[in-house]
Amino acid sequence: MNALQQDIAQLIIDTLNLEDLQPSDIPPEQPLFGQGLGLDSVDALELALALQKRYEIQIASDSRDARQHFATVASLATFVEAQRAACAN
Amino acid sequence: MINLRIAQWRAWAPSLHSYEDWQAWAKSPWTPADQGEQPDCAFLPPMQRRRLSRMARMAMDVAWPLCGKDEQLPLVFASRHGEIQRTYGLLGDVADQQPLSPTQFGLSVHNAIAGQWSILRGQRGEASAIAGEADTFEHAMLEAATLLDQGAPAVIMVIAEERPPSAYDAWIDDVPFSYALALRVGEPQPGQDASSTSRWQLQLTRNIADTNNADKSQASTPHSAWPHALDFLRALHEPGASLEHAFLEHAWKTRRWIWQRLP
Repeated sequence: MNALQQDIAQLIIDTLNLEDLQPSDIPPEQPLFGQGLGLDSVDALELALALQKRYEIQIASDSRDARQHFATVASLATFVEAQRAACAN
Repeated sequence: MINLRIAQWRAWAPSLHSYEDWQAWAKSPWTPADQGEQPDCAFLPPMQRRRLSRMARMAMDVAWPLCGKDEQLPLVFASRHGEIQRTYGLLGDVADQQPLSPTQFGLSVHNAIAGQWSILRGQRGEASAIAGEADTFEHAMLEAATLLDQGAPAVIMVIAEERPPSAYDAWIDDVPFSYALALRVGEPQPGQDASSTSRWQLQLTRNIADTNNADKSQASTPHSAWPHALDFLRALHEPGASLEHAFLEHAWKTRRWIWQRLP
């Protein structure tokens, strides 16, 4: 797990109040929603808000790719890096 | 006039958890220090309790054991001030022009705890969420009585209040400490072996002291020193010897509620 992935896993735990979980309990490739960690649509909204605040990025609510970006910690990390690069330009 | 039976009760407040704690409190009540502690609700898996506010935890903690696993019972949730900590936090975000948390926003509504109860307990029947004035407790009992009248075998009534943020100190003076009380309310069934301390009659009359301000000598009912629900909890603890004297008056504005214990 790289530093950004670790950071995002911790953000998920803090934002969604997942008591008793450590970042290492959320493997980067584990699905966050449904069968995996078990997050739901309200969590997705909450998480989007937290990511925007934390990384100063924009997440379009109508983004078609949102589902893929939010699939796992790894995909979120890739997405955050891409958005940061885009916002920096 | 309505007759009710209190089949079971449970209450929670900071440092007041067990029946013995409450018995001691009822005997000579005090204001426990409120350091924000909350019930752990360990009966719920972490993923299910992560969205429960302090107030929701208090409500779940007291109501949970009063409803059987396989029972479907209507719920009355009552609170005068509701999720005041959540709403105050949201107002702060609005003032700071910060985006609002969807979770905080969604769960700040008055029926959120009733909804969470329904989801967590798989309850598919009626649920009411009531906010009244200082006599919210009596309005909730009236609501429970109407549900019983419509055929419910019993009603779970939960009343909860949380100490408001200090910004409200000038306006809110009826929450000395955070508390939650759950009652399992049923119709009085003569012949059953229900303890006699648990049957009550509730009567509503006009509060003359308030409607006729000219005559202060009529003002025989000062506000009870404790919130009505906690005052009632005290009365539940009265020893059997003083049965026929068990009598409570709760006056608020034009309303005078009279509680009388039935033999």
